[in-house]
Amino acid sequence: MKQHVKETDLALYASGDLRLWQRAAVHLHVRQCASCRERVEEFRADARMLREAAAKLPEGLDWARLASEMTANIHVGLAAGECVSPRGRAGRLHKSIPAVWRPVALASFVAAMLVVLLAGGWWLNMPSQDTRVLSRAMRSIWHGRTAIEERGPAIEASSEGIELRKDGGSLGVSQDAAQLVTVSVSTQGSASANYVDQDTGQVTITSVYAQ
Amino acid sequence: MRSRIAIFALAALTVMAAATAQTPGRKIDFPVDSPLTAVSSDWSETRATPRGGAFVLDVHAVLSLRNSSQRRIRGVTLAVLAQEVTPGGKGSVSVPSLDVGPGEAFPLRIDLTLLCPLGGPMVEVKLDGVLFDDLTFYGSDKLHSRRTMTVWELEARRDRKYFKTLLETAGGAGLQKEILSNIDRQRDRPSAGVQMVRSRSTNTDPERELQFAFLHMPDSPVDPTGGTARIAGNEARAPHINIQNRSDRAVQHLEMGWIVKDQQGREFLAASIPSDVSLGPGKSSQVTQDTALRFSERTQIDSMTGFVSSVEYADGSYWIPTRGELNDPKLRAVIAPSPEEQRLLQIYRKKGLGGLIEELKKF
Repeated sequence: MKQHVKETDLALYASGDLRLWQRAAVHLHVRQCASCRERVEEFRADARMLREAAAKLPEGLDWARLASEMTANIHVGLAAGECVSPRGRAGRLHKSIPAVWRPVALASFVAAMLVVLLAGGWWLNMPSQDTRVLSRAMRSIWHGRTAIEERGPAIEASSEGIELRKDGGSLGVSQDAAQLVTVSVSTQGSASANYVDQDTGQVTITSVYAQ
Repeated sequence: MRSRIAIFALAALTVMAAATAQTPGRKIDFPVDSPLTAVSSDWSETRATPRGGAFVLDVHAVLSLRNSSQRRIRGVTLAVLAQEVTPGGKGSVSVPSLDVGPGEAFPLRIDLTLLCPLGGPMVEVKLDGVLFDDLTFYGSDKLHSRRTMTVWELEARRDRKYFKTLLETAGGAGLQKEILSNIDRQRDRPSAGVQMVRSRSTNTDPERELQFAFLHMPDSPVDPTGGTARIAGNEARAPHINIQNRSDRAVQHLEMGWIVKDQQGREFLAASIPSDVSLGPGKSSQVTQDTALRFSERTQIDSMTGFVSSVEYADGSYWIPTRGELNDPKLRAVIAPSPEEQRLLQIYRKKGLGGLIEELKKF
């Protein structure tokens, strides 16, 4: 038997997301390998369970955001799974650890999983915009400039809309149902975004204020 | 198997994060004698989520408002408040270019993100102002909506008149050609991300002083005569512009446009500079703002241009540029169409030339 297929490739194969040429190779292997076939079935069962769980989610969820978060979580989970126990090697790894060190290894594993879970929870609750503050600071250091801490809020306008930034957080405006036409900034401390309703043409101008 | 546990644990966290969101309290607070009445409201998409020591309110609501006055309404501005004093607690929603008769209702959509302190998240909608077709105004005007809505309405009348004249002189084909040209210009209009910070520069690049160039409009009652701003890398701050009132009427407010050109030759409207002034006939004064504009890292400011975009006389009347004055090639390339022109362009996109002509005939 050739070497087993990677866990990530099996997961992508089970969901039908593997590239065509890889899919054919994995398909051939899975037909001959009971272990991998069983793993594929497990992934498919997982997908069914997730779909059933999704049907029970509360109404009014932001599906686009949830979908992107779930996708990212799955990547994190797969990466964590690979780090922790590649199938087939787990037994050898277990046997290679002296009995006296096994409780320590187990405790380390539990601690690592706890860190992954806590980091995941923190990450899920962290506003994505906050990372921009960090990246701006890193860019300033990279370009050799000394950033001076800003006092008070900043107003930002871009082709994506308007935002009020303060203390590392940001508050924005988004109208999913309407088309953003223009944004503008006033030096007296406000920014405005003009949205046009695609059906009626009605213009709605939304503004945020620094003070 | 363990990777599956990790996936399910993280999925559970996702659901828990969604579940912590809650529906905030809401209040529509219009004065007793308000010319607007709230007929209905749908707040079903509004959520409050705890973040640190505050609530983030994602306000998504659709209000149905009725004109309970005897005059036609041209514009409405609502203040949306979660807390009035702290930054992030206040926003506003304006709808210009309305034509709502007595007893008629219209929808108004609110989409804003606000901050409020922990402990009973609450969003409040207040009426800041209503502009009628005779340019009279009702409201508290805390957000200076009287001025902005009056300028929008004057621009709307100017633009409708321009398109109607074009229809009469050049026919449907001439109007269509102009509309298509404006749609192209709107699509190609350059925009650059800009951040406005009050009171100080935010980097230590060497600073230089850069002179403004000015676009002079023949009919403008106020003329800019010179000005500078401090430039440091991708930041421009502390604009300082000398102005002269060349009309025979006192001026109490003006707004200037600030165009920036970068070293790649891209030109865009960076900001507007509104300023309260007390400028008698023939007198001179200065417009200064203690603000900094920051552009993207790649934007190195090469030159700046200023122009007067609106003037309010002391008697409450206004001056705005004519369509002819806005036809300056530099302005045409960077200035956004008025809200009314944006509305008319969308009507053309949706309903074609016939729909647009029908709309113009309403006024």
